[in-house]
Amino acid sequence: MIARETILSLEGITKRYGDAGVVGPVDLTIGKGEFLTLLGPSGCGKTTTLQIIAGLLEPTDGRVSLSGRDITDAPPPQRDMGLVFQNYALFPHKTIFDNVAFGLRMRKVARTEIVDRVTEMLRIVGLPDIERRLPDQLSGGQRQRVALARALVIRPTILLLDEPLSNLDAMLRKRMRHEIRELQQRLGITTIFVTHDQDEAFEMSDRVALLDRGRIAQIGTPEELYDAPTTRFVAEFIGDANLIDAEVVSADGRGLVRLRIAGGSEMLARTSALDLGPGQGALLMIRPERIELADAAAPGTLPARVRQRVFSGERITLELDTSGGPITCTKPSLPQYRQLDPGMQVWLQPGDCRALRAS
Amino acid sequence: MAAAADRRFGIGLLTPIGLLYLFFLILPIGFFLSMGFFKYDVFGLYKPELTGENFARLVVDPYYLDIVALTLKLAGLTTLFSLLLGYPLAFFLTRTRSAWRGALMFLVVAPLTTGVIVRTYGWIVLMGAEGIVNKTLIAAGLIARPLQILHTETAVVIALVHILMPYMVFPLISSLAGQDPNLERAASTLGASRARCFLEVTLPLSRPGILMGSVLVFTLSAGSVVIPQLIGGKDVQMMGQSIYELVLHTLNWPLGSAMASLLVLLQFSIIFVYFRSNRRVRR
Repeated sequence: MIARETILSLEGITKRYGDAGVVGPVDLTIGKGEFLTLLGPSGCGKTTTLQIIAGLLEPTDGRVSLSGRDITDAPPPQRDMGLVFQNYALFPHKTIFDNVAFGLRMRKVARTEIVDRVTEMLRIVGLPDIERRLPDQLSGGQRQRVALARALVIRPTILLLDEPLSNLDAMLRKRMRHEIRELQQRLGITTIFVTHDQDEAFEMSDRVALLDRGRIAQIGTPEELYDAPTTRFVAEFIGDANLIDAEVVSADGRGLVRLRIAGGSEMLARTSALDLGPGQGALLMIRPERIELADAAAPGTLPARVRQRVFSGERITLELDTSGGPITCTKPSLPQYRQLDPGMQVWLQPGDCRALRAS
Repeated sequence: MAAAADRRFGIGLLTPIGLLYLFFLILPIGFFLSMGFFKYDVFGLYKPELTGENFARLVVDPYYLDIVALTLKLAGLTTLFSLLLGYPLAFFLTRTRSAWRGALMFLVVAPLTTGVIVRTYGWIVLMGAEGIVNKTLIAAGLIARPLQILHTETAVVIALVHILMPYMVFPLISSLAGQDPNLERAASTLGASRARCFLEVTLPLSRPGILMGSVLVFTLSAGSVVIPQLIGGKDVQMMGQSIYELVLHTLNWPLGSAMASLLVLLQFSIIFVYFRSNRRVRR
């Protein structure tokens, strides 16, 4: 990853909601021009965190700084952030032009410049010639773009997106992902995106922060989160994972451990938990697409029996039973895998195993 | 088939109330209003001879013209003050997270639970020459002799504003409470101060409530009889009292009917303007 100059940082941000729960402490830094996603199930605190960044919510504790300046107590108008809401929150009584021009008018930009910038921005989001219409005369996708234009036209230091795609239909959602990402890259604007959808997060982001019960469970590039989850929650939330109870046989202290699963098979795995030692319990994680199948026993293979084969077009999912428990394995839909019928014996050769601390 | 049956059933349900309205509301009122076009007769109440003189008299005779003008003026002032006082109240009630919100809402409705006469007598007790206001002012040494409060236009407007306040506040509350809270948040992240948020977003979006409340208060105050009668007396004559006088005391039914027609016309035109402007907002 390219080293970026930090633009926004959260230090120990906490929000307490009486007895209802607590978000934080959250520590986070965002680099200039970065696309960061706050990902997590509903109620994990991602929207709360975003609203604290926007200044719409006051944190109970902690500090927010923008380009080194403490803005924890600054009201929203002084933060220069563009926020796109889940329901877009377009002003229903104002035309599209007036909606987009709103932020510029508040900044007392000259009338002629307003016209130029609004026209330009509507062209950028692909909506010329709708300036005179009212929001309720537009489709969901168009409203989404107007909301984006309204937030971007003020040239905010940070663009904040609060689940902006969740009200669109599936097709449009996929297209908007690419459009938003492309726009973000073209304008080079620092963006914080909130979503509960892992695909969205992965396809769009430079980095993803996965939140769980008000805290960041793990933060990193999509590849890091997928390949090297540090907890069971991350492994299960991101993609599909086979998680098998295991015991540590030996550890080299530099991130490589040997694990034994029920039935006695042993496997090498990488780990970020450097304190795992012999005799301790651990979780063995294997991604379903990293498993090779062999038709004869070989060193390091795990015997398994096919329980079910599910065909879904380009892919075949095999449900297998092993001594360590059930394992799912996905394969491209090729003839040799289509022949695997329930009851058949295969040998698994798991690749890229990870060892997680037993939860 | 089913639709036709539903239709017949619906018509069946509406028939009794429809007949009631026809025979006891539309026909008598129609008859009474049409009397405005008949000639006045001292002995027979009216002569079945068509004439426009009753309406002409309303706009030519300064006595009646003053009554019409005063009615418009007091109804207008009542609407204005109800709006100025009611808006902050409605705004507060929709925004407060206080545990007292329910109780405060009840206080807004409370005036409707007592009769208009009771409340009006309450004002007389307060505003009379021997009333609490005058006694307090005299005791405080601010005035030497009682002020004339009762029987003034001010007193009538105060009492009307008080009694009609719920009709202003409730439409306002419903239009303010229906607003998406994200709209103000959006405005503030775009750089609008609290005052600008209000002027640019909250106020224009509460327009339907303002219109609805104003129409209700205006038509109700223009048509009120009891309050101008008891608080204004002979000195503050509004159309409602005047109709009452003409019909029950002067026994000039044709003129009373013309006055009533004019009042209904005024109220209908206000309601018409309301629907027109509301449609323009929604387009």
